[in-house]
Amino acid sequence: MRITFPHLGNAYIAVESLLRGLGHEPVTPPLTNRQTLERGSFHSPAEMCLPFKISLGNMLEGIDLGAESVLMIGGWGPCRLGYYGEIQRLLLEALGKEVEFITLEVPRGNYSRYMVHLQKLTGSTKFDHLRSGASLSWAKLNALEELEILALQTRPREKKRGATTGYLQYQLEQLRAAETVQEVEEILSTASRGFLRLRAREQNRPLRLGVVGEIYTVMDPFSNLRLEERLGYLGVEVVRTISLAEWVKNHIFKKALGLYSLAPLRRLAAGYLRGFIGGHGLESIARSVDLARKNLDGVVHVLPLSCMPEIVARGILPRVSRDHGIPVLSLMVDEHTGEGGFQTRLEAFVDMVQRRVGRLGK
Amino acid sequence: MGFEVITSPPTNQEILELGLTACVDGACLPLKAFVGHVRFLVNRGLELLFVPQAISVVPGEYTCTNLLGLPDLVQQYIPSSVRLLSPALDARKGAGKISFSYLRCGLEFASALRVLKAWQTAQAAQRQVDTAPKANGSTGRGLNILILGPRYLTDDAYLNADLMGKLAALGVQVTAAAAFPDSITLPASRSLAKRPFWTSMRRSLGALEHCLHRVDGVISLAPFACVAEAMQGVMVAERTAKTECAHLELHVDEHSSPVGLVTRLEAFCDLLERKRRG
Repeated sequence: MRITFPHLGNAYIAVESLLRGLGHEPVTPPLTNRQTLERGSFHSPAEMCLPFKISLGNMLEGIDLGAESVLMIGGWGPCRLGYYGEIQRLLLEALGKEVEFITLEVPRGNYSRYMVHLQKLTGSTKFDHLRSGASLSWAKLNALEELEILALQTRPREKKRGATTGYLQYQLEQLRAAETVQEVEEILSTASRGFLRLRAREQNRPLRLGVVGEIYTVMDPFSNLRLEERLGYLGVEVVRTISLAEWVKNHIFKKALGLYSLAPLRRLAAGYLRGFIGGHGLESIARSVDLARKNLDGVVHVLPLSCMPEIVARGILPRVSRDHGIPVLSLMVDEHTGEGGFQTRLEAFVDMVQRRVGRLGK
Repeated sequence: MGFEVITSPPTNQEILELGLTACVDGACLPLKAFVGHVRFLVNRGLELLFVPQAISVVPGEYTCTNLLGLPDLVQQYIPSSVRLLSPALDARKGAGKISFSYLRCGLEFASALRVLKAWQTAQAAQRQVDTAPKANGSTGRGLNILILGPRYLTDDAYLNADLMGKLAALGVQVTAAAAFPDSITLPASRSLAKRPFWTSMRRSLGALEHCLHRVDGVISLAPFACVAEAMQGVMVAERTAKTECAHLELHVDEHSSPVGLVTRLEAFCDLLERKRRG
């Protein structure tokens, strides 16, 4: 079956391997670009959030490339993402696109529908084939995040401006083409040496800023206007608090086994939030406290316009900032976010943090 | 339970202003109004403020995500001299959990017997409100309109710019989704491919399925920038288009003008009348 799927950062590299392992042909839509967003927005209700519009655009572009099915994740709340697939299915249907919609979610009620989806996905694949596909995909997911983190550490220290981004792109392409777990490991070890070579010898300690917020807008460079890259060029080492591999481990494997606990996050957010508020709201608060304790220089909070849990978090973050003495910048993104204004705000924030660090004599 | 109770009046200009000037931007209109009510009450000098954390009121469903973080958000806007009383209402694992949570919350202030009695009185009072026949406008023009939307909008005449009153003045019979009990909306929502997991959305869509062939038109009322309502809008539009039922979407925020609303309602009613005449 020819299957397309929405983008999330560079995760397509891992998804492609997984689908191949399942015996399907992945139809990867072109990397999210202005046109994707415009198409997605055109067919979405105005008030849907940015991730919804972009993923709808991805689906439409995948269908243009000849996909017969669309793969999407689902859920049962309270995050509205759980219902996105259903709405996108209706919208595609209304557009006359004849595609099969496969939603991956924990079954509830309606088991037959779920079994049909699962059967279509696994089809007649041999177990061995499936296992090797899954382990390759998992290795790639971990590797690509590791590569991205290496790039984040290298960018503020690079000798030649822009070299890191180019090198990362090159290694990601290698990773995409890798066919065995061993190859993936080789790429990773070459890359970690390669990134070291890009660094300048003598360096002042770069500022370290943590990024928290809603997972899609944090992970997807198109939706956050390449936030991590911009900060890197301003001489900032970005510290990620969200990892897709970690998310998959916690929310798909551990949760299914009932092993996932919010207690550590809840402890960190004590006094600010009493518990889960949907989406990544609790994480945003807890991780900000954590970053402050780890003595980072500041926090950047990213959220899509109208994201309810993150708006609650945004209302509480100023207090975290005051209590823990850590500067916080909240950035709301949507399809109208202008690059110029975005860049100005980042520069002003970085300047402010820089001056503050100098004053405190850190 | 022996408390002196202070409640805020129905939303008005002053209350909304209080909310608008303090509440985090990006929040929806009802949330801003809620913060306004909180600030209004705090100014009246009270010691204890009751803001429950309503996580879920029907098993297997959630309320709006904003309500999950409501007490924590409200905490930002009250002085430390005011204590928040926020029992967690979580019916995901059974509706009985809600009573339990209320009772446990009350035990701090009164004896078990007294709390239990107070809870029963409260329930009886709520039932009376829920089952009271609602003034549904007039039947002057013989038009029937169903209003979909969350209760904190359909029931708040200030926030919805007196939508019900305006429709009544136009001679229309109005029913809100909230008027249908779960015993009607739950089975009706089963026909959907995937059951919505927010109570308000499931209730609205259930009411829509139930009324689709009995009303002339449907109005969805939603706060601006509410994604749950935007999704509901897509589903309502799909259902109403298939059954040729007229549908009007209204989004409200603090910048909405009542004048524009009247024009749209008049146009909508004229359209319904013409459609009925064929």
